[in-house]
Order: sequence, then structure tokens, then C-alpha cells
Amino acid sequence: MKKNEVASSPVPDHVPPELVRDFSLFTSPGMPPTVNGDPHAAVACVHAGPPIFYAPHNTRDGRGTWVITRARDQRRVLQDTETFSSHRSIFASALGETWPMISLELDPPAHCVFRSLLNPLFSPQRVTALEPAVRERAIALIDRIAASGTSCDVMKDFAFPFAVNIFLRFLGLSDHRLDIFVGWGKDLLHGEPVKRSAAAQKIVSFIDDLAALRRKVPVGDFMTFVVQAKVEGRPLTDKEVRGIGVLVFVAGLDTVAAAIGFDLSYLARNPKDQEWLRSKPERIVLAAEELLRAFPTVQMLRVATKDIDFEGAPIRKGDYISCATMIANRDPAEFACPDTVDLAREENSHSAFANGPHRCLGSHLARREIVIGLEEWLARIPAFRIKEGTAPITHGGHVFGIENLILDWC
Amino acid sequence: MRIIVDKAKCQGHARCWAHAPDVFTLDDEGYILPGDIKVAMGDELLAARGARSCPERALEIDGTAGP
Repeated sequence: MKKNEVASSPVPDHVPPELVRDFSLFTSPGMPPTVNGDPHAAVACVHAGPPIFYAPHNTRDGRGTWVITRARDQRRVLQDTETFSSHRSIFASALGETWPMISLELDPPAHCVFRSLLNPLFSPQRVTALEPAVRERAIALIDRIAASGTSCDVMKDFAFPFAVNIFLRFLGLSDHRLDIFVGWGKDLLHGEPVKRSAAAQKIVSFIDDLAALRRKVPVGDFMTFVVQAKVEGRPLTDKEVRGIGVLVFVAGLDTVAAAIGFDLSYLARNPKDQEWLRSKPERIVLAAEELLRAFPTVQMLRVATKDIDFEGAPIRKGDYISCATMIANRDPAEFACPDTVDLAREENSHSAFANGPHRCLGSHLARREIVIGLEEWLARIPAFRIKEGTAPITHGGHVFGIENLILDWC
Repeated sequence: MRIIVDKAKCQGHARCWAHAPDVFTLDDEGYILPGDIKVAMGDELLAARGARSCPERALEIDGTAGP
């Protein structure tokens, strides 16, 4: 990380030059698509610098943000929704609009109303009931892979069809359009502006059409629940239905698949850990937490609602604040040897699913999918490695990911 | 041992419950029930692990309180 030598976007006047760093989750080394990359290790280097600094190009559209590096300070930002608002229309901005994704982009107290509505559907207890279906899907996919040879592309053949199917099933959608949905998600998260807008438009139309359909013919799925739901004694508005539908749709498209990709990539490169976990499947639940700590996929973005001096940094109203989980989870003040993956790590208070009221709504489902995916993979596929002559391509950005992961085994 | 519960800080991560489901009870939304928790001697190890796994630091261990 160098001091600000190359930044060309104007740094606001209130930002002291000594707090500006040439750092970006989108453009720093290891963030664009990188062969054999390790984007999580690449961003962990910020811990050698100050606890908070200003990065002039740290959003998809090139805006500057403050970057909070310490886990403790990220908790403070994410728990203080009065000062650090989550309403920034990330999705709607792709359409030049400003409506919020619900509940992510609402602040309390409105946020609490919608979270209370949705929480029971995603509670740990509810997720336990989904487990047999999740396991059945994992086994079917992995058995097909094992029967068809000794090599596969984990992302194409397992991670995406597994994670996206589970989540479409949760929504009550069939998966015959799974590839199309995944394509929309990719364009939305990683595409150029024109592709982003087009994808956002398709997703909005799809959710609006689905809501209309379920209003006409209720079927007992997620969207039916949403169109029939009441908050504060009234039905939801069309915009609220859309806000919920879009968030849940977008959030499930690639985060779990990316996590499974990073996890199997790590195990492919670390045969000792792989063998240990295969011989001790009861340790997978705990190991999955360590893999979530080491390879989380999202960053939280907040906007300041007022001026505040934060740990020596003059944050002003309207400033963006980035709390990247991959940075907090490598904070040496909270995790011993943070850059070492220790699958037996106990008491792992990582923040892969964020902190504060916006803790990932789908976190319990995501966890079960990751654990079940690893359990069934390790039980069915013998010692595996990255196939010789191939190389995974990783990327940073708003959601970290891995594009391909070709494994082989004997 | 006693666990001091800061209910307002709980955000439903349910890490405590994952470690010690017999010690930590969740409501229908997946958040911890209010009120401090008295931990039986045999549950202390798992209860402490659960408390220390809280990503929000909502659970404090009071080791001075006997079971």
C-alpha cells in the first residue's frame, strides 16, 4: 500500500492527505481477476497501516470511501445505525432509482419491522428443517460428478448448481432457469454499467411478475408469503414487495457458491488439512467457521448521517464507510495468527455475516449449505488437488469470488 | 458460572446456541431470550465457548458466580 500518488479522483477537502491511501477492493493488486490469486491475503496487508484511512476509488463506480480495518471499529460502525446508515440504494442505483432493498437498505426502526417479518423464515430452527433437502441435492450432484470421471470444475458442476438450487427451492422457484439467474447475478455484480442496468431491469421485472402471479394464485412459497404479509396492520406496498424479493434473490446468487469454491480450493492446496477433515467429519462444523473467517466474501458499505470524528478521522455527513469482512477477519488484535487457517480454531467470533442489525438474514441457511457441501464432498470424493495445468481465477470487488476451480483425483 | 446477556446487542448470529443449545435459548426469530443465564457446572466449557464466539460481544462471562 502506497500513499496517495496515483489517485486521480478528487479527495474531499476535509480528508487529511496523510490519511489517504492507494487502496481499492476493486483495483488494488489481487482484486481484478487474478490467476492463482489470494484476494483475502492481498487485502489483509492493510493491517500494517493505520486503523482507518481514505481510499479514493473504493466502490464499483469509483467513489472514495473510508476504510475501517480493525474488527472492533467495524463493530462500532455497524452497530451504530444512527450515525452510519445502510440506505444507499446499491441495487436501484443501477437503474438510476433510489428505492431500498429490504431489509438491507432500511435503517431502524423501519428495518426492525421487516426483519421481524422475515427472521422466522430464516431462523436456525427453521433451517434445520430444510437440511434433508439440502443434503439430498448435494449428494445427487456429487454422485453424478464421481460417476462421470476423476475431474470437474467445482464452480460449474457443484458450487453454483448446489447453492443456487437450494435458494431457488427456498423461494419456491424451479431451477430450469438457474443458469440464466446466475448470469444476471454475474452481470449485476461484476458487469460493466450497461450490463448492470440490463441485469437489474431483468431482475426487477422477474420479481414484479412473480409477485403479481403469486397475488393471483397463491402457492405457499416465499413470494406468496411476502405478498400476503402484513406489517403494522397493512399489506406491503408493491415497492416493498419488490425490495424484499430483489434482495433475497440477489443475495443468494453467488455468495455461498463463492464460499464453497474458496473452501475447496484451500483444501485442494492443503492435503494435510483435507485428510484431517475427511477423517474427522465431526470437526467440519467448526472448520467451516474458520473457513468463513479466512475467506468471507462481502463488504458492508455505510453512509455517514452526520459529522463525526472517528478514531482520529474526520468523517463528514455523506461520506461512505467501507467495513470489509475480509479485513476485520484478519485483524491480529482479535485472531491469533490471522493469516493462518487453523481448522481447529475455537471461539471464532468472526464477522463473515457482518455485525449489527443487518447481520446476514440468510446466514443460517448459508452455514448449513457450506457444512453439508463439505461433508458430502469429503465423504464422496477421494484426495483431490488442483488439476495440473489449470489455475483458479479469483477476484475481489464488492463480492469476492472464484471463477473456476478444476480439481482432479485418482 | 453466570453469563450476562446484553439482549440489545444480540443480532441473531446464534453462535452461542450452536456451541451450547442446552444453555442458550433462542426465540422464534433466532435471537437470545432476555435475562442472565446460570450455567450448570457440566456445561461451563461449552457455555464459555459459545459466549466467546459471539460476533457482537453480547455475552459476558461472570466466573465469580457459583452454579
